[in-house]
Amino acid sequence: MRLIIFSWEYPPRVVGKLSEYVKALSTQLATNNAEVNVVTYDDSITGSTREPTGVQTVRVSNPVRTHIGVLTWVLTLNQEVERAAANIYYQANKQIDLMDVYDWHFIPAAVTLKNGLGIPFVYSVESLEDHRSQTVNTPYSMAIKSIEWLGFYEAEKINVKSEWMRDEVIRIYKVPKEKIVVISTTSNSWIKEILKLYNNVAGGLKSK
Amino acid sequence: MKDDLAVMMLSWEFPPRVIGGISPHVYFLSKSLAKQGVKVYVVTCDFPDAPSHEVIDGVEVYRIDSYKNPAPDFATWVYLMNLNMQKETAALTRKIGDKIDVFHAHDWLVANAGIGLKHVFRKPLLVTMHSTEIGRRDGLHTGTEKMIHETEAWLTYEAWRVICCSEYMISHVKWAFGLPSNKLVMVPNGVNTLCYNDIDSDLKDFRSKFALPEEKIVLFVGRLVYEKGIHVLVNAAPKILEKVNAKFIIVGSGYMKEQLLNIVRSMRLEHKVLFEGFLDEQTLLKLQKCADVSVVPSLFEPFGIVALEAMAAKSPVVASDTGGLSEIIEHDVTGVKVYPNNPDSLAWGITKVLLDDNYRKYLRENAYRKVQEKYDWEKIAQQTKLIYEGVLGECSKSFWA
Repeated sequence: MRLIIFSWEYPPRVVGKLSEYVKALSTQLATNNAEVNVVTYDDSITGSTREPTGVQTVRVSNPVRTHIGVLTWVLTLNQEVERAAANIYYQANKQIDLMDVYDWHFIPAAVTLKNGLGIPFVYSVESLEDHRSQTVNTPYSMAIKSIEWLGFYEAEKINVKSEWMRDEVIRIYKVPKEKIVVISTTSNSWIKEILKLYNNVAGGLKSK
Repeated sequence: MKDDLAVMMLSWEFPPRVIGGISPHVYFLSKSLAKQGVKVYVVTCDFPDAPSHEVIDGVEVYRIDSYKNPAPDFATWVYLMNLNMQKETAALTRKIGDKIDVFHAHDWLVANAGIGLKHVFRKPLLVTMHSTEIGRRDGLHTGTEKMIHETEAWLTYEAWRVICCSEYMISHVKWAFGLPSNKLVMVPNGVNTLCYNDIDSDLKDFRSKFALPEEKIVLFVGRLVYEKGIHVLVNAAPKILEKVNAKFIIVGSGYMKEQLLNIVRSMRLEHKVLFEGFLDEQTLLKLQKCADVSVVPSLFEPFGIVALEAMAAKSPVVASDTGGLSEIIEHDVTGVKVYPNNPDSLAWGITKVLLDDNYRKYLRENAYRKVQEKYDWEKIAQQTKLIYEGVLGECSKSFWA
């Protein structure tokens, strides 16, 4: 299995808990013979690296330095994410089984790659705008929510870490329950369940 | 060279959505390219009552939902609109079987979509830079302006070729983004002369709605924004009225409207300076034909399509000697050039034209001939097609091929 993981944080860049989680996940996947590419953001280290674990990482920086908010920052960064992902795709003779996208930041890239190249994706939810922001009714938060919504709509499957989060996704975004897979990160069968989910999604788009 | 060349045009405006000069530019360029045997797809923003897909003279036009995401401000809206434009164009490109040879973007307003699609499909990107932020604002003063400028720099960096509509814009864009000369190519903007032929020659009744028979019509067409220099014309109005009985007709809207209205009121010239707002195309064409002089007082003008339109409508032109206007107008031959941002100079030029019937006739005939010689869409489409072919030839030797 060959996949690309998108995450806006990955060691040494640590913003929250996601960074370490994606590191552990990609290492475990590599140990289980998956060919793992991580596309992430870093302002000072850029380019590709092969980690001792076999995980291939590509770090991109933002081509536009001045921004008026996190939204414009994220939206211009996505083209660099697409560039990195497309390079992986063409170097792999167009054989990428799926993408796993962490949170909303790189949903725009995933959606374009899915629609343009036919690569299916899993939307893995670490957190939601409704829980992060105290002012969800501002145009700013609503724009982020509209990107989250797009991710839920376009994803083949949604991966959440708890039943509570599953119910929140259903409550806020009216996503069909059967589209969401709950995988607890503390469970013994964690990586097996992740691989099962990937295998389920790999092999093309069911919707189109 | 392959004969089934296919181009995907990206533009944030396309008729009936008309905000500025990009809309008619992309419309006529696409139609003329289609005539040259190029398969043209246009992806653009939606507009009330315009279909999401239609074919216009062989051009496939797709309109995307451009207000899908709520946006806190204009610049963020642009990037969010690009998200949707890119997604829809990616799906379309895949649907038609990856037949697209080049992506052609118009201005930073579609930068993200153009750049993303280039990499996703590994096809060359071309950009036409119709304007720049640093030129529009006469410098970079705010975070938003800097961000837009850097987005433009990124777009021109990613583009295989950067097309500009005038020699002035070539040197301006080269300076603004530090581009190598061989990346830039000049293709003039075109103008449609045919649309004026269909207008009735008897416009007496139409004219009487705007001006008295003894009043000369001074026409301004453009957005009411600082860079267009409309305030210079308003300030020149009393100086002109001292010598000629004239009616000033201002077509277009923009953020300066209230301010301009206040100036006109304070000069007690409400009966001489009329603000018509945005007009439908037929009315505008007729007004251009009626105008005794068309004024283009811009402070910054990458090209100056409105001057060409006036020339095609056989209306004498007075324009400020700046940017693309300097190249379009030959002083005392195809029009009158005046000092930019100078109401005295502008008043001099307008008065000179209005007081001399023979001079007007002379300018009009010279200008019309020039338009037919140089600014014909057929010729422009041929040049553009050659640029596409040249880029594809270079690209076929790259590792993307």
